[in-house]
This record gives sequence, C-alpha cells and structure tokens, in this order.
Amino acid sequence: MTDLLEKTGALVKKAKSLGADEVIAKTTFGRRMQIRFSNNEIDISKVWNNYLTDVALTWNKRVVATEIRNFERAEERVEDLFKLAKVSQPNPMYGGIAGGTFAYGKSKADGKILTLEEPNAYVERAIEAARAEVPTGLNAGGTLYANYEDVYLVSSEGPTGQDARSSIELSIRAFSQKEASGHGVECSSSLKDFDPSRAGRKAGEMARLAKDPVAGEEGTYDVIFDPLITGSILGTYAMMASAFYVMIQMSVFGNKLGEKVASEIVTLRDSPAGYSVANRLFDDEGVPASETVIIDRGVLKTYLHNTSTAKIFKAETSGNAGLVVPEAWNVELDPGSFSREELFGDVRRGLYLTNTWYTRFQNYAVGDFSTIPRDGAFIIENGEIKGSIKDIRISDNALRMLGNITAISRERQHIHWWESQYPTLSPYILIKDVRITRPK
Amino acid sequence: MDILDKDILEYALDHALTKRVEYAEARAHSVHQEQIILRNGALEAYVQSVDSGFNVRILVEGGLGFASTNRWTTEEADAVVETAYRLARASGRREKIQFSEMESNEADWRVEEKEKVLDVDPESKIGLLSGIDKEVMAQGVEVPSRILQCFIDLTEKYFINSEGSRITSYVPKVACFVIISVKEEGKVEQAMRQFGYSGGWEAFDLWNVADELVHETMVLQRVINEGKPLKPGKMSLVCGTEVVGIATHESCGHPMEADRILGREMSQAGRSFIYPGGPYWLGTRIGSDLVTIVDDPRVEHSYGFYEYDDEGVEARPRYLYKEGVINEFFHNRETAAKLGVESNGSARAVNYDREAIVRMANTYLQPGDMSEEELLEDVKHGVYMKSFTEWNIDDRRFNQRYVGREAYLIEDGEIGPPVSKPTIEMTTKGFWSAVDGITENLRFDAATCGKGDPMQGLPVYTGGPIIRLREVHMK
Repeated sequence: MTDLLEKTGALVKKAKSLGADEVIAKTTFGRRMQIRFSNNEIDISKVWNNYLTDVALTWNKRVVATEIRNFERAEERVEDLFKLAKVSQPNPMYGGIAGGTFAYGKSKADGKILTLEEPNAYVERAIEAARAEVPTGLNAGGTLYANYEDVYLVSSEGPTGQDARSSIELSIRAFSQKEASGHGVECSSSLKDFDPSRAGRKAGEMARLAKDPVAGEEGTYDVIFDPLITGSILGTYAMMASAFYVMIQMSVFGNKLGEKVASEIVTLRDSPAGYSVANRLFDDEGVPASETVIIDRGVLKTYLHNTSTAKIFKAETSGNAGLVVPEAWNVELDPGSFSREELFGDVRRGLYLTNTWYTRFQNYAVGDFSTIPRDGAFIIENGEIKGSIKDIRISDNALRMLGNITAISRERQHIHWWESQYPTLSPYILIKDVRITRPK
Repeated sequence: MDILDKDILEYALDHALTKRVEYAEARAHSVHQEQIILRNGALEAYVQSVDSGFNVRILVEGGLGFASTNRWTTEEADAVVETAYRLARASGRREKIQFSEMESNEADWRVEEKEKVLDVDPESKIGLLSGIDKEVMAQGVEVPSRILQCFIDLTEKYFINSEGSRITSYVPKVACFVIISVKEEGKVEQAMRQFGYSGGWEAFDLWNVADELVHETMVLQRVINEGKPLKPGKMSLVCGTEVVGIATHESCGHPMEADRILGREMSQAGRSFIYPGGPYWLGTRIGSDLVTIVDDPRVEHSYGFYEYDDEGVEARPRYLYKEGVINEFFHNRETAAKLGVESNGSARAVNYDREAIVRMANTYLQPGDMSEEELLEDVKHGVYMKSFTEWNIDDRRFNQRYVGREAYLIEDGEIGPPVSKPTIEMTTKGFWSAVDGITENLRFDAATCGKGDPMQGLPVYTGGPIIRLREVHMK
C-alpha cells in the first residue's frame, strides 16, 4: 500500500511543479458493508468499494479543492485544479495549512472488520435480544455497518502519514405496538466488545415499557435524557464548537470564549480516541488528532480549529481540520458522580426521554430550537417510570439547556447512528425545567 | 464529464445473467460537480470534482444484493456482480421480495441548458455571486454574516436491466443556497434560502436572487425592530406558498411513501400514520375537499425533474391527497408488488453508490380560484405566515410545527404589523381539514429532501398557492 502513498505524493509534487503554494492530497481506499433490515428480515445487503483522492491547493491565497476518483487522469485533474486557482479569487482570511513533521502513533484498526464473517448473525443476535423483551408482536428494523479505510496523506508543508480506520455499528429500532418503540445502538472501532445483543435488548426493553402511550401534556419538566438522545444533543454542540460555524454565526458559542456557557458540572471534550468510530491518527492537514477540552467545568475554553481558523482567532490548531472547515471528531461529556438509579431517584415528577429526531433551529446564534422525541418517552414519579407518553416536542433553547444540566451519570455509551452525525460518548443527564409542547 | 463506459455496464449485466437470478440491473452515473462558497463577499473555496461509477443490484431467491465501484474495469465488474449475487443469496428471507410487472423501456432523454453551465467561466460564476452580495450590502442594513453557495451538478446516467430496459439521460442542475444573519441593536435574525433548477446557467436570470435576499434582509430588520409576539389563541391562519410547500412535503409527501408505510424505513426516517389495518388508508378523508396534493416529476425545469426513474419506470403525476381523501402512494417496484399495484415511477438514487428508494420529486397543492385579496378580506383576526424558519414533524408525519419567519397580523382583512415567531403546532389531519380557501397562483421553492441510509439528499420542489386555515390554535 506504500504505492498509494507514493501516488498521493506524486500529485502533491505535480501541483507544486505547476506553481501551487501549498498542496494537500489525501487518498482513501474504503471498503464498506451494510445490511439493512426491517419487519424482522434483511431487506438488502450492500458493499461499496471506494477509491478517492482529495486534493486541496492554494495559490496566492486562492483556495481550490477537488475529488479525484479516476487515477488514470489524476495528473490532468491536478492541472485543471491549478488552472481553476489561477482564475479564482483570493480569500483574505486564509491563514495557511500546518507545516512541519509529526510523529504519529500506530493505528489500532481492526482488520477483522475487513473480512467480517457471517455478518447476518450480528443482525439476528440483535433481533433475538429484542424478541426476548417483546416475545409476541415484535417488529424490528435497523442497519449494520462495517467500515475499513486505508488513508494516505501528503502535504507540501511536511506532514506525511498513513492511517487505517475501522468501525462497526449496529442500530436497531423495535416496535411492540404501532406507537410503542425503543431504539438501541452499538458502536465500536473493533469487534472486541462489540455486542449487538446489547442494542437489541435496549430497543426491546424500551419498546415493552412504551406500550399503550397516552398524549403527553405541555409544560416544564425535569427531564432525564438517555445516552441515545444525549448523543443527538451533544452533536449539536459539537457542530457549534467548530470555529467556522462560529464565524458564520451558526453557533450559540460566538463571542463567549472564557465565559460560563454551561452548568459547572459540564466538561465537554473532543477526542478521536481509539474506541471511537471516528478514530484517527491525524486530521486532514496531517496534524495529530488529539483531545481538546471545549468546555471546562462550564466555561468555554476553545473552538475547534484548523490552521487557518486558528490564525483568525489567534489560537493554535486543535487538529480538527477537515479539507475545508474544522469539525469535531468524537465529543465526550465527562462522567458525573451519579449512578443511573441515583439519577432517576432525584426526579420527583418528570420525564425520561430516550431518543429524538428532526432538530431544527429558529436561529442558530440565539439557540432557540425544537426537536421531536421518538421511541420510549415516559413519565417519572418518585424515581419510577409511571407511564408511556407520545406526541410531545422539546421547544427550548440550546444554551439554556446546557446551563440547566443538574446531574450526569457515571455510565456512558458510545453513540453514533443515522440521526447522530457526530459520534459521542454520552451519559444519562438530568436537565431541569425543560419546555415541552404538543400539537393543539 | 468523466468515464461512463456503457460496454462495461453491459458486460456486468451479461455476467449477472449467467447466474440464476430473478432480476438484475446495472446503473452508471457520471457526475461533474462544482461548489463555490462565498463568505461575506470573499471566495472561501472553489471545489470542482468529477465522479463516475456503477452499481449492480440483483434479486435472487427473494433477496436483494447491491454492490458498487468507481473502477471501470471488467475485473471490477466481475467482482461487483459476484458480491451482489453472494449478498442476495445470503439474505435468507422468509417473505420473498418481488418486483411489480412493467414494460421494458428504451429512451434517451436530456434536459436542455439555454446557457451551458460549462461555457460560463469560473470568474463569471464568482462575479455573479459577488454581485449578489454587494446588492445585499448596499441596503444600509448590518448583515454581519453572509454565506452564498452555488452548486452545480451535471449528471449523465445509463440504466439497463434484465428485462431489456436501456435508458440514457443527462440532467444539469444549478442551485444556490444562502444563509444571512441580520443584526440590529444587538439582536440577530437569520434566514436560509435555497434556489434550484434543472437546466443551465440561465437559472440565475429566473431566480432574481439579489432581489429575494434584499427582501429577506429588510424583512429580518423589520422583525427585529417592529415584530411583536402573538397573543396565543384560536384564529385564522393564512399560509404563504413557502409554508404550503413545506406542509405538502412533510405531511403529505413523506407519509405517502409506500416504503415507510410498509416499515422499510422504520429505524431511520420512521414509519407513517398510514399503515395496513390502521385508521388511515386509501379512501380515508384527511383534509377538506379543497385539498388536492400532487407530485409531478415532469414539471419543466423543476429541481426534481425526471422522465424515467432509477428503475427505468416512466414518470407520471401522482395524485396523493385528492379532494381531501388519501388517494395514491409513492411506489417503487418492490413496494408496488407488495401492495398489488404497478410502480408509479418513484424510485430515485442520488448517485451510483446508492440504491434507488421511494422518493418525492415536485410536491405541491393544486391551486384554487381565489385571489390573495379575496382570501384575506374575509379574515377578521389572524396571522399571515409568508415564510418559515424552524420546522419539524414527528416520524409518523402527524405532529408538525412551523414557526413564521416573515409574518404579519391580519385584522379585518387588512395586513398589519409584523409578528415575531408565530407558531403553529398541530396534526396533519387538523391542518388540512382546516383549509377553507385557496388562491389561484402556484409557486415552487427548491429543497433538498433527506432520506435513506446512507443518507441520500435529493433535489425536490415544494410548492403551492396561498391557503387559509380557519380556527386554528396559534401561539
């Protein structure tokens, strides 16, 4: 595979020979497998082989990029790209890419994912675990993904690296009735400890508890968020932590560096750790990907940067470069001091929400938004689940909710699925005074 | 454009047909894409790429297998066919998948560009966006953040299947997506607008993006300065075309997708309030008899335009809700077979590496016969919600919410001062049953519809006339 590193480097040399100032090329050889299932049966199985080289180059502060998929014409595409740069316009805010050489760790990608045997068995195990909770009338659907990528990066400014990234994910939604469902996910960078039964059991348990839901009532509630829905919420903050989204006013964190933006029990960090489905050794500039504390005990410490945004904010790159804008890799909310049981015991009358979807903002800078809980949603009285509800909506403010987190569990789960774009490590959290609305 | 080697595709299908398959197809896409990003008047980045590849989908023993690649070699074609075949056989389904019957089609269709996109040089494209930005800034309003993006997508496709269909197509699409933030006395309001067109660079002449954004800028400034919250209560609601469009898409289009109805999307985008044996089915009333919602892929130069879908089925209008009654679902060949009908040409895929699934194209409410003045003059107390900001709907497509971006109070038939963030949160049946007046105009907006796993964001139009709802709860 060093052949691919050489080919990637040759494109960088080609661009430099044409006169480019800075060039990054990243070749990805991806092999991905998916099984989709619904109504307790496999609908379709898919395999994708994807060969791709991303090239970004600058010339006199003009930034252009391309994706090359046809290697036979790769040099021709680089020539086209350089011509595009010459007729493009300068970006006065462009601050360059990372220089120097870096020592990277060793990839811990799991090669067994590449040659997954009996993938259908993972799906069957998840369905059977759900069926153990819902012996009659179970209807389950979901996806299994297995992903393995070889990545080769060469930068004209020095960084050169090779990485392998692996992940396996199972997502299952189980119905016990048409309006009673639960959802579970299982995600890992390796087959070790990957247990699809865990996701199936959770989905089945929630579906069983969610039976015979009644319409929820509008009002303000103390709400326990399951790790699954916490993952969706953290994903919103992950996006807003990117310096680019701050610059374009798509973030509640604008102009708040050094300020208290969350409850003091909240420490939020970005970590491309080995366990994560977003595991990686370096970012798209070749800077080692490492842990970054975004919020430290309630105080906003930094945005997520590439070299260019870091220059604008007079900061250092945090190793979060995507090819064009910085982005979070894997957001972790630090564990709290509560067990799950203690967290529930803290709620005299409130709600337990397990999942959500369709989060939309009125105004990203202000943070007013709504999102629609789905799957198990429950009334809690004196720490006990007392009934299943439906047809409710969280209609609140992202900053207000961050400030109202009053308890965090020790237990955390790695979350990534169709609705949660950013991988997270999510605990149960208790947020007080959450505004709930419903249709009238 | 990049490679699209029909011979390789034919080779792949021939290889598939050497096996004992119930059905096989091969679909190739070759795509030229450009993305121009302007931030606050300066070019952030210009991204240009070409992509091409193909997939093979095989039905064997009632199971489906799919494999794709972007390497155009016979060896890769062999590998893709073998993989798809192996996956299909391994599915082990108890209930066998079948495809509905259809005539094979041979066609070669394309959307014309009056001004060819590739003939417009990059400087002119950047210059056009810069000009729009300058016009917005010339209004004397503080607009601290302006993102203007232009997307170009020129797609050539070739589809063949084991039943003899051979379809070649070329569709150029141009789109513009804008986010602006207006600041006034420390307060910020935001608007997002999308424009989309199947055709050439003439799209920008038709859209008047600069005028539209200048209007948005002035509206947001006025909302900050003059907008007052609404006193909650029951009243009339007049919905502008943009609001009607999103409502048709969310609470008619999505719940009428047969794959959702049958549960195939259950763990992602969800199911539908319509399901076999449930309280809502074909023939059930869902709205007032004024409500007829159509989806027509053949609206000329529309963002969701196509003549044949990605299973080779000829496109035609689908009458979803007809005179207030649930009338026709969206189908691909798999869902059609399951419900005993023919496909109505609703299978779409965003690229060669995605399976074709049941999708909308251009969904709109059919116009009525009233003028806007007639619609308003009969409103004693209400709100005119011309456009929306936050919106969402539950995964059964029954509990929806729309929050007004540009909205005004109506008193005694007259449009009054702006209202800040008026909100309607109600059921699908409640919404469409409350409609008692529809204007005679019809306007479309471009949108990107999200569905599928992996996600397939597809271009669509949403649209309609202006409508009036009676006695609905607003807050």
